[in-house]
Amino acid sequence: MSLNTSKIAWWKIASIALVIYSIVAGMLVPLKPGLTYVSPETAKTGQTLTLRMHGYNSFYTRSDVSDIRVWLQYDSLHALRGQSLHVLSDTVLAATFVFPNDLPRPSPSVMLNAIIDHPADGVSLLPDAVELSRDTTAVAVTAADWRQHPVGQLNIKKDFSFPYRNVIYESIRNTYFHVPMWFALMFLFVASVVYSVRFLLNPLPHFDRKAAAYAETGLLFGFMGLATGMLWAHYAWGAAWSNDIKQLMTAVALLIYMAYFILRSSFDEPEKGARLAAVYNIFAFASLIPLLYVVPRMFASLHPGATGNPAFGSQDLDNTMRMVFYPAILGFTGLGFWMAELRARYQRVADKALGLD
Amino acid sequence: MSMKMFLTLLRKEVLLEFRQRYAISGIVLYVFSMVFVVYIASVKVQPPVWNVLFWLIVLFASINAVVKSFVQESGARQLYYYQLADPSMLLLAKIVYNTLLLLVLSGLAFGVYSVVAGNPVKDAGLFALVLLLGGLGFSIAFTFIASIAAKANNAATLMAILSFPVILPILLTLIRLSQIALRVIQDTSYQRDIINLLAIDAILVTLTFVLFPFIWRD
Repeated sequence: MSLNTSKIAWWKIASIALVIYSIVAGMLVPLKPGLTYVSPETAKTGQTLTLRMHGYNSFYTRSDVSDIRVWLQYDSLHALRGQSLHVLSDTVLAATFVFPNDLPRPSPSVMLNAIIDHPADGVSLLPDAVELSRDTTAVAVTAADWRQHPVGQLNIKKDFSFPYRNVIYESIRNTYFHVPMWFALMFLFVASVVYSVRFLLNPLPHFDRKAAAYAETGLLFGFMGLATGMLWAHYAWGAAWSNDIKQLMTAVALLIYMAYFILRSSFDEPEKGARLAAVYNIFAFASLIPLLYVVPRMFASLHPGATGNPAFGSQDLDNTMRMVFYPAILGFTGLGFWMAELRARYQRVADKALGLD
Repeated sequence: MSMKMFLTLLRKEVLLEFRQRYAISGIVLYVFSMVFVVYIASVKVQPPVWNVLFWLIVLFASINAVVKSFVQESGARQLYYYQLADPSMLLLAKIVYNTLLLLVLSGLAFGVYSVVAGNPVKDAGLFALVLLLGGLGFSIAFTFIASIAAKANNAATLMAILSFPVILPILLTLIRLSQIALRVIQDTSYQRDIINLLAIDAILVTLTFVLFPFIWRD
């Protein structure tokens, strides 16, 4: 028997460092300035109206009013420029808009995006901020044109901050905790299957303990992923559980592994139980693939990148997020492997005490 | 040689079923009872509900029909078979036999169910294909799970908890396809779902034959 207690694997320290880094950076890095709402939210053609724009994380007082530009935009060609700007506070800005007599397209009403360009804060955009409806009784007074002031020459701000997204706001930070759980789960389950295959080829109790420990840790990460997901769903979708296809399939995937543990424990002879559990583990993993990658494509989902992608699309991450997201995946996966190794070692000690090894 | 062996084994399964007639009669009665429970619980069934209830009946009947395929014969006799014949041939015979059994059962369930609860099927050809694919998928997954569960002390409980998560992708695809056959949903590209289903079946059947040698040996 060889004792390697003094040997500390470098990857354990690295994963702890990465997890701490992703928690600190994920929680402390601020969001980019954004627009929460514009009041009033409705306007009519031919009107002259002063709108108040309410910012988030913004510092409107930090630069000269004449350098701030605001628009109400319909598309890349059609936009209205706001005039006589007043900065009321760091987060409130008032601008007057003169609406033309016609809409950019023949319809009863159009939705306009609000855009603020600020030299210090950069650009912030609120989609569908104002509904402009056609006023049939109004007489043509002003001659303002949709094409006079197209949106352009924006101050794109590049710094270490997370994007501001409507609906999810600060909860965008959950990306670094919710998503890595699923990555870690997948890696742990793959490791568990690898040890199950090795056990079938060479039935050593060591491989069986490893397979069980990795499956157990994977299950733990599954519950954590479900919990962080439910927290997020409660905030962004309005309910913790909304029978989204991915929520359902995840619940089923966790059921598979709970069944695995029941199967393991329902044999009198440990060797027989270990062998059949290894067989079931391989079989269950094979049916996990259609569960997680084929079935979700057949149904609509609330998750980003829905109807097609199992995870989210590349446009959902910007470069700053990548700098936290990828280390978080590596860190949590490493942590999971360390936990599984510890679990297997504990089980070995317990088995030795019982005289099973 | 192996074809002859396969046919003999298949014949053995059929003979066994007919000699122990209580097993098959029990399953048939089970299907009838389930159909009547559904009918009494909800007299007028709308097509979407009809579809779900039909598949639930078929699912439970299938589990009960397949679970006995390894439990009904004693361990000693199983071992005797494995000495006489190629174990994977024995498994193949059981899968084929169970597929035929499930086809008969689901056909029967469909007959009785459509008499009591009406027949909303619009695309009979597709629905028949879905029943065929369902029988095949259920048979592969359940036969394999039954061979694992039979080794444990609590075979019936284990059969249910081990097979439900595994069968779910197949079941969801089947329900979706039969919704198309019932014109509950419109989808012209359902061939992709059929290919998915066949791919899942292919994966499961391959694994079944790779893993079975580790199960039967005690």
